[in-house]
Amino acid sequence: MSYAYLFKYIIIGDTGVGKSCLLLQFTDKRFQPVHDLTIGVEFGARMITIDNKPIKLQIWDTAGQESFRSITRSYYRGAAGALLVYDITRRETFNHLASWLEDARQHANANMTIMLIGNKCDLAHRRAVSTEEGEQFAKEHGLIFMEASAKTAQNVEEAFISTAATIYKKIQEGVFDVSNESYGIKVGYGGIPGPSVGRDGSSSQAGGCCS
Amino acid sequence: MHETELNDLSDDADYAASIQQGSPSNSRGDSSRRSGPIELSGAEVVYVKDNVAIHPTQYASERISGRLRLIKQATSLFMTWIPYKANPRGYESTGLGQSSQSRIPERDRNLYTIRAVSFTEIRSIRRHTPPLGWQYIIVVLQTGLAFPPLYFYNGGVREFLATIKQHVPLVRSADDANVFLVNDLQDPLQRSLSSLELPRVVPVSNGTPPLSPFSTDENHGSINETVNDWGHARLRVHDPARDISIQVLEKFSLVTKFARDTTSHLFGEVHNDVFSGNVRRPQIQSAPVIRDNERSDTKQESVDFVPVTPDPFEVDKISLVWGKPRQPPLRFDEWTIFLDSEGRITDSDSLRKRIFYGGVEHDLRKEVWKFLLGFHAYDSTYAEREYLAVTKKLEYETVKCQWKSISAEQAKRFTKFRERRGLIEKDVVRTDRSVSFYDGDDNPNVAILHDILLTYSFYNFDLGYCQGMSDLLAPILFVMRDEAESFWCFVALMERLGPNFNRDQNGMHSQLFALSKLVEILDSPLHNYFKQADCLNYFFCFRWILIQFKREFSYDLIMRMWEVLWTYYLSEHFHLYVCVAILKRYRKKIIGEQMDFDTLLKFINELSGSIELDGILRDAEALCICAGENGAACIPPGTPPSLPLETGSTYSHQEDEVL
Ligand SMILES: Nc1nc2c(ncn2[C@@H]2O[C@H](COP(=O)(O)OP(=O)(O)OP(=O)(O)O)[C@@H](O)[C@H]2O)c(=O)[nH]1
Ligand SMILES: [Mg+2]
Repeated sequence: MSYAYLFKYIIIGDTGVGKSCLLLQFTDKRFQPVHDLTIGVEFGARMITIDNKPIKLQIWDTAGQESFRSITRSYYRGAAGALLVYDITRRETFNHLASWLEDARQHANANMTIMLIGNKCDLAHRRAVSTEEGEQFAKEHGLIFMEASAKTAQNVEEAFISTAATIYKKIQEGVFDVSNESYGIKVGYGGIPGPSVGRDGSSSQAGGCCS
Repeated sequence: MHETELNDLSDDADYAASIQQGSPSNSRGDSSRRSGPIELSGAEVVYVKDNVAIHPTQYASERISGRLRLIKQATSLFMTWIPYKANPRGYESTGLGQSSQSRIPERDRNLYTIRAVSFTEIRSIRRHTPPLGWQYIIVVLQTGLAFPPLYFYNGGVREFLATIKQHVPLVRSADDANVFLVNDLQDPLQRSLSSLELPRVVPVSNGTPPLSPFSTDENHGSINETVNDWGHARLRVHDPARDISIQVLEKFSLVTKFARDTTSHLFGEVHNDVFSGNVRRPQIQSAPVIRDNERSDTKQESVDFVPVTPDPFEVDKISLVWGKPRQPPLRFDEWTIFLDSEGRITDSDSLRKRIFYGGVEHDLRKEVWKFLLGFHAYDSTYAEREYLAVTKKLEYETVKCQWKSISAEQAKRFTKFRERRGLIEKDVVRTDRSVSFYDGDDNPNVAILHDILLTYSFYNFDLGYCQGMSDLLAPILFVMRDEAESFWCFVALMERLGPNFNRDQNGMHSQLFALSKLVEILDSPLHNYFKQADCLNYFFCFRWILIQFKREFSYDLIMRMWEVLWTYYLSEHFHLYVCVAILKRYRKKIIGEQMDFDTLLKFINELSGSIELDGILRDAEALCICAGENGAACIPPGTPPSLPLETGSTYSHQEDEVL
């Protein structure tokens, strides 16, 4: 598949908040509550369109468990966008946001766009974190914010796509040097069928790696 | 976290002041007595601490004591840790020694030697100050790998950190007050940038030090000479077998930084050993076969093989040695032959060998796995096993009762219990639900998984519950179909794999480290590629090792893989050779496509389900035999899944957030 840009995303947040479910809902449009817990990282990808340009999202769904953090930190490098997820029915997942953010700030690109997601909003009757608190946290830390549900698909598309739109806007504004891959963005041949650009733009026949 | 406050370095103004007034001069005076050669060459020892030890195993007599030093040369700071010679003098003077004769061979002591690691290579230092026991530190490198913990028998961690702070930027992590980041810039923006490019933040002049000043009296090491020997030690003979053995050894000499005399001593043996079956491994009855049809062309290639400028596509040398063909799985009639009239397995070596080469038929697994895992002793009788089954069932019920009897009211006041239980509840419903044994709503087997894991977290409260455990347990329950038996088999497995789940990831780091050394001797071009691509932390193999390839194979195949690994027949660390074998299978693609860390990680992840088990096992066997003693020497004693040799607390004191 050809694309104008490829963005690397990571999904982070405590274990069980629904990171893998969000990814699956976004890539496969289904909710599968019984898939395996994540060890290390899993990958997903999907094409979206922004400003009539095909953009490929390569998404890293990381393990949330605390003791895996020393490993998962190595995944932040070169991510253009991050979805930071908490579970609105479990207060402690919200309380841990600051430490996730700290990780992101330390190990990711400073220009990474971060979307804060309060997941499982279908479980309104068990809510433990109010929408306002989520908004407040996002505002304080300069994040975009949405509540979503991997189960009902509410706001799932929107979350992934508006993150991409923000990144795209930053590109237009010249915030990124897109030839520098540490920003998590690769430039492809927009709309033109053919091999994607290789990792350093010089060897295009090796492009089969990011399917 | 009262321990943090007790030893708070940066906030301790008195201490900082005393440092200013030259308390390190104590150490300086200390060092000038002993380390003349260092000062002569312009390097200055700014910190010396005796009786700093490494604990390769749980066994007290295998602890290695040594001297820790900080050495300053020009603007660079280096850390060295040199073990004392075999007779551990400082160790004894502390009265801690169990025996004067350490059980660690000289060679293994050298393996742990930290020879002048520059602080530009160090990412962070984690300090542990347990209320009981010795303080220790873990030094984490930029690559993400870590040295084994260094125990300060005579204290001095704070002084150590304070001294570092005088010479290189050292800041406390905002995340964790016990982690000190080296060369980490204060400004968060700067910091996030520098974490991307840390190796380059530091001026080049801080690079590799001249090594000679650090080859000191304690040790006969001479790494630089060994390295320089690379070129001319290589013999251009045309016997491919000989070539490989020499290459293996050459790489080995680099890896382990052995003294030249050790290396040449090994060279003396090698012509006979590496290929015609290893002297120390007499149980291998047939040497690996060299395939005739491979011989002619590989011979040609080996002549071209030049380790210094390797052609990545031409050096898959190890593949000319083949593991034995796999056998059909052990059948019931064969199994009964291994049992004597009272049910003892008299020749467990042959049994393990048989299973290593063929596995076990599925219906027999329930029986045989109990031996492989160590729940049953090989020399137990039918009667003893029956008795054991009864008592162990009761014992299981007793432990289970410990949490079963916690009332809702009590649970309200028992956060740790609620958290553990919550995590386990969340995870068992996300474990192997696509396997019919665990599928569907309200599956009772899922509930059993839950009960066993929660009971285990009480049985081994220090370790608790950690993700990955359910992956290890699920196939065991699938085979055993019995709650108590599954529990005890899981307990036995965790005796070996428990350290994989230690909070500080030490068990994992030591295996990843050993893996990197194995690849270095068994496939140096691949090693060099990983090095150049900044992939030397081997994090891409994390999942493989954590749960013994569970996610990489279907149920049928993972049961086969596990029973082969659990024979511990050729090596306790056969799983690491399996890792090397898989990497070698795909090396052409990895190197050819110049995969970077991200691409490699994704590639390895997506191998899941497509790895050919029997072929990999054969390759791994060949690699294991080929590497022989040298391979074994890459794996520090105590690396999981080795059994801890002495009972005691196997698990380091866990942090508060442990579940
Ligand atoms: N009701 C509801 N349940 C959800 C939703 N998203 C996830 N879940 C449930 O939460 C559980 C955990 O979701 P996962 O996606 O596996 O969580 P994760 O964040 O990937 O967890 P780790 O992989 O352990 O880090 C699943 O088993 C789902 O049943 C949601 O939007 N609504
Ligand atoms: Mg997940």
